[in-house]
Amino acid sequence: MGHEAVRQPSAEVHRIGDAAVASEPPLLNVQGLSVRFDGAPKGVNVVDDVSFSVSKGKTLCIVGESGCGKSVTSLALMGLLPTPPARIVSGTAMFDGRDLLTLSERERADLRGDRMAMIFQEPMTSLNPAFTIGDQISEGIVRHRKVSKAEATQRALDMLKKVRIPAPEKRMRAYPHEMSGGMRQRVMIAMALANDPQLLIADEPTTALDVTIQAQILTLIRRLQEETGTAMILITHDLGVVAEVADEVAVMYAGKVVESGPVEAIFDDPQHPYTIGLMGSVPSLGRRQGRLATIRGTVPPAELMPKGCRFTPRCPFSDDHCANDPPPLAEIKPGHRARCWYAPLEIHRGAAS
Amino acid sequence: MSAIPADDIILEGVGLKKHFGGGGLLSSPTIVRAVDGVSLGIRRGETFAVVGESGCGKSTLGRLLLRLIEPTDGDVRYEGRSILKLNKSELRGLRRELQIIFQDPYASLNPRMNVGDIIAEPIWLHNLASGAEKRERVADLMRTVGLLPTHSDRYPHEFSGGQRQRIGIARALAGDPKLIVGDEPVSALDVSIQAQIINLLEDLKDRFGLTLVIVAHDLAVIRHMSDRVAVMYLGEIMELSDTNALFDNPLHPYTQALLAAIPVPSPTGRQPKALLQGDVPSPAAPPSGCRFHTRCPHARALCKEQHPALEAAPDGRRVACHFWREIQGAGAGSISAPPPSAALAKRLALYQTWRERQDKPVATSP
Repeated sequence: MGHEAVRQPSAEVHRIGDAAVASEPPLLNVQGLSVRFDGAPKGVNVVDDVSFSVSKGKTLCIVGESGCGKSVTSLALMGLLPTPPARIVSGTAMFDGRDLLTLSERERADLRGDRMAMIFQEPMTSLNPAFTIGDQISEGIVRHRKVSKAEATQRALDMLKKVRIPAPEKRMRAYPHEMSGGMRQRVMIAMALANDPQLLIADEPTTALDVTIQAQILTLIRRLQEETGTAMILITHDLGVVAEVADEVAVMYAGKVVESGPVEAIFDDPQHPYTIGLMGSVPSLGRRQGRLATIRGTVPPAELMPKGCRFTPRCPFSDDHCANDPPPLAEIKPGHRARCWYAPLEIHRGAAS
Repeated sequence: MSAIPADDIILEGVGLKKHFGGGGLLSSPTIVRAVDGVSLGIRRGETFAVVGESGCGKSTLGRLLLRLIEPTDGDVRYEGRSILKLNKSELRGLRRELQIIFQDPYASLNPRMNVGDIIAEPIWLHNLASGAEKRERVADLMRTVGLLPTHSDRYPHEFSGGQRQRIGIARALAGDPKLIVGDEPVSALDVSIQAQIINLLEDLKDRFGLTLVIVAHDLAVIRHMSDRVAVMYLGEIMELSDTNALFDNPLHPYTQALLAAIPVPSPTGRQPKALLQGDVPSPAAPPSGCRFHTRCPHARALCKEQHPALEAAPDGRRVACHFWREIQGAGAGSISAPPPSAALAKRLALYQTWRERQDKPVATSP
């Protein structure tokens, strides 16, 4: 336990994600967001009681596997969820003094692409194949700014330079299919940042890219973020990417945040069995350490979702208590929360081994 | 793992080339050199990995080695015999011994066949068993890969991605193969499922004495699974080496750049990286000389003119670079993942202990 006493001060320093930071309120503060799909069994929400906040210039990473609700969360914030079937059951998302979830469609459209913007995973499907890159970037500028066509085109060209696309003048007249995956993703970033948004949501921005291109894009995003002070929510399943860019991390499983905190705390002192299992599942880059740890089975379908902790059927530590009573997202250390009855595990589950 | 004899080659590619295209009647001929002069030998019982970025020809090479596509030039030898001259019935016998697992398990399973029939097809095709014996074998295979035999009348769409990949593996195992090529076998799967499949492949390899050829782009997976690695770039092998040697001391500047680009899963190790600029050039018009010279930080005039041979380096390694001796000293590339923190290591060990107990709940009770 001496080890944890030593870590305490460093945890004190990282209290950024806490809404309690007095000096400046977070840019985006999501509290108790729940989203339900029509037809899902009673009481099973795809996103359930999700809370997090992002401050100016900071990066929050939402980590989780397919179907954990990370993309639904981001689409709900952007107002891009198709309703029906999706319905926002409860929650607030305060962005700059306004609740995003209660805005009218018109007000949302004014925000989207202006104050908040989004980058998607597959740039080829999110770019329009029938328009040139230049037209697509300037379209967003004309929509939100009172500028002439020529000024918007100039701004679009500046953005292409900013995301370091070679020969930008030529690329303005290119169509999406004429560019490589990495270049298209740069175009998406240029488009998203064209109106200097305060919040950028990036949904798996590098998943479709090769590792050398991924490194280029991550470096670019980070550099632009330093220049502009944009806050970012980055959604990913790759723990390596999280370790590279995150300030704060929220780990999601089956629609719930199971652990959240500063990135150092999540990687050096993970509390939730799912986080630990996930880290054990990733092959190490060092010399081989024997077999990989695995998480048993798969995410249960909605109709079989346990009424207690949703990780119960896969968790090695679970018991009847877990199956019947949903654990709260309890604070383990300042700013570091875990949704587990038995955290820290070595205290509650160490003796039996 | 170290007991694999270096001269016992099970499958060998000699000067393999595969060029696609050539143009139709009216189009100008563009020839894509997907694989351009690759020679390698796969040792019996090893796990051999082929790694590279998209478009480097790694999947084409995997298919050439099984003669799923015909090479433009070169030869493939299985157990010392060329497989390119085999006739249809001989080739069918060969198919039993050389199998493949695909990346997208859904696309590679017939949606109108139930799982039992999918797995039984190779058994039926090679007349290995019939009737009750065949059904017993299918049930056995399903248990081997961790599926419930009672699910044999279900269809592929009723299974999750990880389970579908298990079906694909069971089908590959059905004909008692000697060698399996895995073409990105885990890259479409979630991390926790990926770990299950990696462990399964390793168990099966030990149990059936298989040789594995893994084609992949994920370097961490490759480091974990493989004994030797070939790094490909634009249809050529840049470096071929023992896995540990490659990761500890990468010789080729492309290997160094690849390793440097991997995100390190530890927030304490953040540091600015020397990044590779630009994209992979089109394989239809590969650069002259060394194909990597357009992106290489060490490129000189010679690299543009002269094509480097895959020359021998110490410890049985091979590298295709004019200047690898000098570059080696630059100290670039080798990756050092910081060890897990004390708290993480402790909890991982605890997790493993309880995880094993979870798998056999009857043996011990807490």
